[in-house]
Amino acid sequence: MSELPPSDPVAQPAIPVATLVPETAAPAQAPMLLEARDVHKSYWLGDKEIHVLRGATFGVRKGEMASLVGPSGVGKSTFLHVIGTLDPPTQGQVLFEGQDTGAMPEETLSRFRNRQIGFVFQFHHLLPEFTALENAAMPALIQRLPVAEAHKRAKEVLELVGLGHRMDHRPGELSGGEQQRVALARALILKPKLLLADEPTGNLDEATSEGIHQLLVQLNQQLGIAALVVTHNPRLAERMPRRLRLADGLVVDG
Amino acid sequence: MKKPFRTAALLLALVLYAIAFASQLVLRRFLSVHGLLSADEVLIVSFVAQTLVMFVTGFAVTFVARSSGWRELGAASLLMVGVAFAALKKIEPPSFSPDHYLARTDELVVWALLVGLAGFLLALWGGSFALIIGASESVELKSGYEAGIARTHLRLDRSMLLRLAWIGLSIPGTFFGVGIVFDRFSNGHQVPLWSLPASALSFLAFLALLGDWIRSRVREARLKPGQKRKRPATQVMTFISIAGVAVGVWALTVVLAVMSGFELDLKKKILGTTAHAMLQRFTGDMTEWRTIAPKIRAVPGVVGASPFVFGEVMISHRDALTGSEIKGIEPSTVGQVSELPKQVIAGEVAWIDDPSQIPRLPAKPHAALSSDLQDQDPDQYLEDTYERRKRHPEEDTASKIDDDALFKIPGICIGKEMSHALRVWVGDVVSVITPLGDMGPTGPVPRGKNFRVACILYSGMYEYDMKFAYIGIPEAQSFFRTKDAITGFELKYDDVDAARGLGHRVLDALGNFPYRMRDWTDLNRNLFSALKLEKVAMGIILTFIVLVACFNILSTLIMLVLEKTKEISILKSMGARDASVMKIFVFEGMTIGFIGTAMGILMGLASCSFVERFGLKLDADVYYISSLPVIVEPGQFAVVALISLCLAYLATLYPAIKAAQLSPVDGLRED
Repeated sequence: MSELPPSDPVAQPAIPVATLVPETAAPAQAPMLLEARDVHKSYWLGDKEIHVLRGATFGVRKGEMASLVGPSGVGKSTFLHVIGTLDPPTQGQVLFEGQDTGAMPEETLSRFRNRQIGFVFQFHHLLPEFTALENAAMPALIQRLPVAEAHKRAKEVLELVGLGHRMDHRPGELSGGEQQRVALARALILKPKLLLADEPTGNLDEATSEGIHQLLVQLNQQLGIAALVVTHNPRLAERMPRRLRLADGLVVDG
Repeated sequence: MKKPFRTAALLLALVLYAIAFASQLVLRRFLSVHGLLSADEVLIVSFVAQTLVMFVTGFAVTFVARSSGWRELGAASLLMVGVAFAALKKIEPPSFSPDHYLARTDELVVWALLVGLAGFLLALWGGSFALIIGASESVELKSGYEAGIARTHLRLDRSMLLRLAWIGLSIPGTFFGVGIVFDRFSNGHQVPLWSLPASALSFLAFLALLGDWIRSRVREARLKPGQKRKRPATQVMTFISIAGVAVGVWALTVVLAVMSGFELDLKKKILGTTAHAMLQRFTGDMTEWRTIAPKIRAVPGVVGASPFVFGEVMISHRDALTGSEIKGIEPSTVGQVSELPKQVIAGEVAWIDDPSQIPRLPAKPHAALSSDLQDQDPDQYLEDTYERRKRHPEEDTASKIDDDALFKIPGICIGKEMSHALRVWVGDVVSVITPLGDMGPTGPVPRGKNFRVACILYSGMYEYDMKFAYIGIPEAQSFFRTKDAITGFELKYDDVDAARGLGHRVLDALGNFPYRMRDWTDLNRNLFSALKLEKVAMGIILTFIVLVACFNILSTLIMLVLEKTKEISILKSMGARDASVMKIFVFEGMTIGFIGTAMGILMGLASCSFVERFGLKLDADVYYISSLPVIVEPGQFAVVALISLCLAYLATLYPAIKAAQLSPVDGLRED
């Protein structure tokens, strides 16, 4: 495996490393976006080491949409955190467009998370003291865009998720579905290349979940954003073009 | 990610530490040789310079180390301890213990360790600034959203700020208003016209504030239990922290203002009686004084010079006797160097030179006497002296001397306390005795001479009023048998605080040796150094209040960090840098510190000017001062504010660094 020098992932052109990855059922041979190679992750609970991931290997291509299912407590969230660079792997590599994220220093990693990845969590995780507009604009502000520009983009993206009329409400004044849409808008404002969603409909009712999923599919088709959606709902998972399963610390197709 | 130890950073730290010490030593040497600064000022300037360089050391090392750099700085500081010990051993500084002249080895070890520790802490402090602006990778001075988040955490919107300003202004304003109204209608003092509507306005503002508060409480009480908005614990703690800082700053400013007031009062009284400086010869008396007087007066900055003859005597009247320091003065020039002519409460200073003017009948006290004596009991004093002499003129020797002889007796001016102790009044005859008399058949015989009291002086300093007496120069010269020589010159400068430098200038004009100069700080060294020590000690003790208040900030911020762990994780997952998270919490702590400091300064200013304006009565017999003196020194207030803000900043560092070090998943996993 060739070590790539740590550098700005934004400035670097994508280097296809598709050949290094086992063939998947991806419909098109688009360049590889994110790759996990032999990723291990373990936690210490007192004196006991718990191995959550034991050499998970997998890849997502540009514009690809996949679901990840697995029983509770198998480590789906941990897996998402590791490939989303929120948590470093104990062993193994996470490559984004061919670059090793483990070799990136803190600031580069932050900028990378800011621009390339959008997260949606099970619990919306919005900042409670800010309005929907301010919440959605936050990543743009972190990128140091001017406030006016950030708010303009936040409005656009909130309208995209159908919340144009709820912009000045705080999370507490929004319904669960609306909160999750704001979270989605926040994840999308900087047009990331990859969307990582951790049970985005985990605590929503059937109809609302359906709406969110349709929105996800629609956004994937419209904007070409690759998405990995962790879900509990087998019906929703079935509808994704590609289905992954996490079992025994490994990721398997099917 | 673990950062490597960087040797380059260590080397840089060593070089900069060396520069810090060198700058201190060079500045100290240079300033004490060339400048007009006093020894204390030289010490302060040089140590501030050293501190600044150490600050910069931390800043620079943090950039080179690309992390907090504490290991590199620590290693450099340890090396510095060794170097400092070796250097101190070479310099051989004086010991702090009274048993030794030079410092012992164990003292030097403590010294060197303290130097190392101080350098380390200062550098870490400087480094924290570098960390905040992003020294670990690329510098980022922008902080728009961080400030926004900090404001939201503290709930500091415009209405809250407005309300704080309102509280800060209307409460002291109301106090003032009450004081002014009381002054006008109860004491009948004149007050400026605008102050009445202004105080009414601030009173109304205060009422409005109270009303607003009551209304909000009522509204809240009417809400159903579920409707009530719960106030987060951190918000309550924020207010407590602000109040803590405010109270600390308030106490510090008020106490320092009072101590400055005492100091100034003392300085005023001392400089009213004694001159700014005294020019003498190293040995013997000055015979050439008539030729050097114009030279002294020609030096720029010197506004007056008056010759004097000094001696110690005893003064007696009937069976009362007191020791005294007597000064022969030139009544025509003494007004240039001291306030003597203004201190007269009965008689005239000029009568010293012309004793025939001193009336036989007791001269009336000056009209301003009762206000001059402030709150001491002037009636009792006059009863014992003036009134008594009017009723019993026969008690004094003057009544037994005929006019011709009486009007030839030279005049003397004495202090008010002395006149009270001797029970004499203007016109009475006292005898002055010096122990340095002639040789008689049985050994030395004291020599005495009669003087008539020409004037009574009141300086406000008990010691001066009890001890000092003044006669004319010719009488003094003949009494002490110094022929035409004088003891020296008293000088007055246009700037009291430049006394040292101007003294050098005068000495240079006279060709230095055999002349020597002692200025008022030298002459009253014990007094002023005791005052200064007291002020420094009080300052340090009261700074501890502010320090404790800053621990409040610390715990509030820790609570906030714990409360916002999830939020920090979310921000990090959205790409917020560590430095940004640090900025958020430093902003929050600094906001608390700033608001608290501002309110404390405001309260301090208000209470100082309140005391200044309306006074706080003291027992004048005990303190010799009728009301508590306060001086608002802007510089002093600024230093207090600076100290408080620095402490607040230091208090933010630990929580801010802890928050920055949180991993993005720490807060996400908790659900």
